[in-house]
Amino acid sequence: MKFTPRHPDANGNVNVSPTHPLKEFAILAGGLLAIVVGVYLALGLAVDLVVPHISMNLEKKLAGAFVERFAQTDETAETTRSIQALVDRLQARCASLPYTITVHVQPSPAVNAAALPGGHILVFSGLLAEMRSENELAFVLAHELGHFAHRDHLRGLGRAVVLMAASTMLFGADNSVSDMIGQGMVLTELSFSRKQETQADEFALEALYCLYGHVAGATAFFEKIPEAADPGRFGHYFASHPENRRRIRHLEDLTRARDYPLGDVTAMPADLVIPVAATK
Amino acid sequence: MIDLIIFLSLLALGYGAGTWAEKRHYRSIAKREMDMLNLPVVTLKSVAVPEHKIRSARMVYGSAVISVDYFKRILASLRNIFGGQVKSYESLIDRARREALLRMKVMAGDATVIVNVRIETSAVGKQSKRKNIGCLEAVAYGTALTVEE
Repeated sequence: MKFTPRHPDANGNVNVSPTHPLKEFAILAGGLLAIVVGVYLALGLAVDLVVPHISMNLEKKLAGAFVERFAQTDETAETTRSIQALVDRLQARCASLPYTITVHVQPSPAVNAAALPGGHILVFSGLLAEMRSENELAFVLAHELGHFAHRDHLRGLGRAVVLMAASTMLFGADNSVSDMIGQGMVLTELSFSRKQETQADEFALEALYCLYGHVAGATAFFEKIPEAADPGRFGHYFASHPENRRRIRHLEDLTRARDYPLGDVTAMPADLVIPVAATK
Repeated sequence: MIDLIIFLSLLALGYGAGTWAEKRHYRSIAKREMDMLNLPVVTLKSVAVPEHKIRSARMVYGSAVISVDYFKRILASLRNIFGGQVKSYESLIDRARREALLRMKVMAGDATVIVNVRIETSAVGKQSKRKNIGCLEAVAYGTALTVEE
């Protein structure tokens, strides 16, 4: 038998597929992304179907798991009492909800507030520091009450749980992406849709009119934040956000359409002490 | 957000560096294979040469360790979800085996033929999964015979 030297690649490299790796990557990553988005949308839809059937009792139980984290400290006791009184007044007179609303004040520079399951409103002290009148504060609180009225907080949280589950599945539980979503799940209303925010705004405007007899201060908070504010600290109340300009316009239109008068604003409650962490 | 940026940079780095290294390696492999084309490497246990003509018979071997780049690993882990041919690892194994054969040939020096050649492949750093070390080793070994003219 004669040996004939022949280069192994004479017929091309049979052991390596000619598919371009970037093409393969695009197909696989795109497919995975499509599946994740599909599952997220489907579960989101399922959450919407389930939410109206969740009883208050079950909601309280669900909430128990993480609400303990916001246990009241002495530092914020006075402030919490003061805001709680305002919420109680809103609830008793204007926004009767089947919830017992509990206010929690968190010392944090975030200019934000959040509606959590079980009737808990989380108010960051950064928000209080920006407030100039009781009316403004009442509007923000009534906005959160509006989320409770429509049970948006459960929808938002439901979607966040779905997102969390998807991220855990993809990146593992002990991952910074999952951590990030976990924090966002409690602290933001990221997944509230434009429609939900608008409905909550309308609810808040009505409550404000009902409580004070006029709607001064409803848009004040959106408007006075300068456009050049640090984007990293944007809460969802800032006027520089295009979405918020739309919300201001909507509130103004509604005020004109319903002939709500504008009156003098009430000063902030005297006993409202802003926790130190807020002023930085 | 910073995680995503790190991830995408690593992906781009892995793709860029990995592709460059692979192209360079393949060029080198092809050139050296051409240079050593006249040393036959066979899997037969023996060749038809009278025993008194064999001047020397000795074991020769060569091994190569090739690492996976970040891009290929991500591509393979995507493959792990859907199943199918892990095309991104094919070139790594191909390179490792051919490099091992070439090194074996270098070890054989001026031998006439290498018989009974075997190639084995193993994963290196399999236990260090959390540290993300992933490489594979190919070892080729055989018996180099030097035959008198």
